[in-house]
Amino acid sequence: MKHLMAWAAAAVLAAGIASGARAEDNILRFGVFVPMSGAAASWGIGSAWVGQQAAKEINDHGGIKAGGKTYKVEVIAYENGYNSADGGKAAQAMLNRDGIRFVIQGIGTAPVKALQSLSERTGALLLQIAWGKSVKGPQAPLTFTSSNTPFELFGPLIDAVKRQHPEAKTVALLNPNDATGQEVEEEVVKQYKARGYTILTSAWYERGTTEFQPIATKLAQTHADIMDMGAPPADSGLVFKELSVQGWKGIKIQSAGTGADATVKVGGAAVEDTYMGAAADFAGPTATPIQRKLNEGALAALHEPLNVLQLATWDAAMATKAGIEKANSIDPRKVAKVLPDLIFESSYGPAAFGGKETYGSPQQMLVPIIVSQIKNGQTVEIERIIPAELKQRLAKQP
Amino acid sequence: MGLIAQLLVNTLQIGAVYVLFSLGLTLVFGVMKVINFAHGQFFTLAALLIAAAMPELTVRFALPAWLDYFVCFAAASLAVSALAAVLYFGAFERYLRDLIGSFILSVGLLLLMEGIYLWVFSGAPRVVPKLLTGQVSVLGGSLETQRLVICGIALAFTFGLYQLVQHSKLGKALRAVAEDREAAMLQGIRYRRISFYGFMIGSALAAISGGLIAPLVAISPSIGNDYLSKAFIIIIIGGLGSIPGAILGGFLIAAIESFAGYFFDLSYATIAMFLLVMVFLLVRPQGLLGHAQR
Repeated sequence: MKHLMAWAAAAVLAAGIASGARAEDNILRFGVFVPMSGAAASWGIGSAWVGQQAAKEINDHGGIKAGGKTYKVEVIAYENGYNSADGGKAAQAMLNRDGIRFVIQGIGTAPVKALQSLSERTGALLLQIAWGKSVKGPQAPLTFTSSNTPFELFGPLIDAVKRQHPEAKTVALLNPNDATGQEVEEEVVKQYKARGYTILTSAWYERGTTEFQPIATKLAQTHADIMDMGAPPADSGLVFKELSVQGWKGIKIQSAGTGADATVKVGGAAVEDTYMGAAADFAGPTATPIQRKLNEGALAALHEPLNVLQLATWDAAMATKAGIEKANSIDPRKVAKVLPDLIFESSYGPAAFGGKETYGSPQQMLVPIIVSQIKNGQTVEIERIIPAELKQRLAKQP
Repeated sequence: MGLIAQLLVNTLQIGAVYVLFSLGLTLVFGVMKVINFAHGQFFTLAALLIAAAMPELTVRFALPAWLDYFVCFAAASLAVSALAAVLYFGAFERYLRDLIGSFILSVGLLLLMEGIYLWVFSGAPRVVPKLLTGQVSVLGGSLETQRLVICGIALAFTFGLYQLVQHSKLGKALRAVAEDREAAMLQGIRYRRISFYGFMIGSALAAISGGLIAPLVAISPSIGNDYLSKAFIIIIIGGLGSIPGAILGGFLIAAIESFAGYFFDLSYATIAMFLLVMVFLLVRPQGLLGHAQR
């Protein structure tokens, strides 16, 4: 009998952990797994803030209803250090210690892969924005991506630059030497070559580097027409500044560019006219009311405008809420099964999951692709493209 | 010629700060026989304090940027020195010549201080407003005017320290203690007092190099880690505890970073540095200018 009681107690405890819910007060805890220091810190700090706003929005509108219960949402942020070692430790703390079963944001391919090795095994739903292609696919059924990645962004970005500068023929690339950088570089090289560009050099640097003069010298000496930075905003700003000092003048692309603010703060006038692949003007005329409201809140709270990566936390939270309610369950596996068929309300408007052709299964959130440029130190949108797959899905809606 | 000049200019400007930072680390080791893993945190604190205080000062007193910077630099150096004194008497003094104890202590301090910086300053990169505009050409290589000035200041500090160590009474006492503590004590040199001075000079050098680098890079609470790992490479190659060794090692590492970074890749340059450390540890563990342990 004693053994039976012990097993029953263990089963109840395990069930509690597996659901990620605190039964006594019906609270669902959502994890945010992000870098909060270093060059990518602004992404992480902003994501954690957006996560809190999403939780507030959900709670203010009656919480999440599933299985006859109503759950309030609590968001907890974890620092993943933007590397696999710290990511592994944070993942253990989040999933095993704190029992979180819904992760609404994960930044950085290396730490996200460390998290994923645990989340897929323990049955946690992971919505993240890592740029590596290998993080999703049939082998990882519980992992979804909630923001556009190089495989969606680079083609339209390079096309837009080509239309503006048809004379440009040569490219030099710089990427961080890690899992994210390596997967991104492979895709960006493919996209440039497909459009007839010649790659003069593809250089690498270690994250945490502070002195960029040697790498700027190497890039400047190629005299490439286009410099494409796959680096975070602060690093890109430093490289563009050094390139300018060394006399290089050409077309600047920050493919991982998520907003003018951090890049301009570091690079100053040297980053003017830089094209960005993942930035949007959420104060501008194309922004939705909720995006404008969040952007104003971010400016007040973080002194920085919102960017698409941070905003993905909101969209992931809303997708998770819609998934839980559709599945009528807080079991992450059941939620993951309904997500691909779902159309939910994101900050951009109606959104869905797709990308089966690219990834082998529909795990990519379909939201607008935005190409922008730094003008007078501000992000200015130059193109906003609705994915064809999303258009088709919405057209089929009754 | 233009390319080589640019690479040499890169070497000089990177090396000047590496040398200053490494001098502090090697001085502390030479005198106290303590490998201070928290050395980079003094560097980071100075840079963070300047980046945080400068905008406030500009708003309140509308001073010119260079004067703001000078005031913040002096205040940050004093604040870091005060912290160093507290840490010396509160902790390091108990672990003089205790490699294992001081290792555990300094690694603990590193983690604690980085956590506190994250909490106080947040992890987002900060920048110091530009102090001087324009750029200059040196031997055909280009660099920003403010980099050139900061590089000159760093070299002046290095020269000043070298003169202090070589020719002053304090410098001779520091060298004597580093060479042979017992013999120095027999000559009437007060070891604990000299250790304190060595620690304070080393920490001040970290603060000065952090203050000098602040206008040139994006500052975050983890910025000191990159410099610390380079400084370890530099003092192993130059010779643990050797001032001329740190100067030589600093410029050698900067040259590897500059030339290998250009001709191969920055990642290969990093690998080359660590390979060099392994070779030195195997073949000449006392480094280029260090003394073999008897």
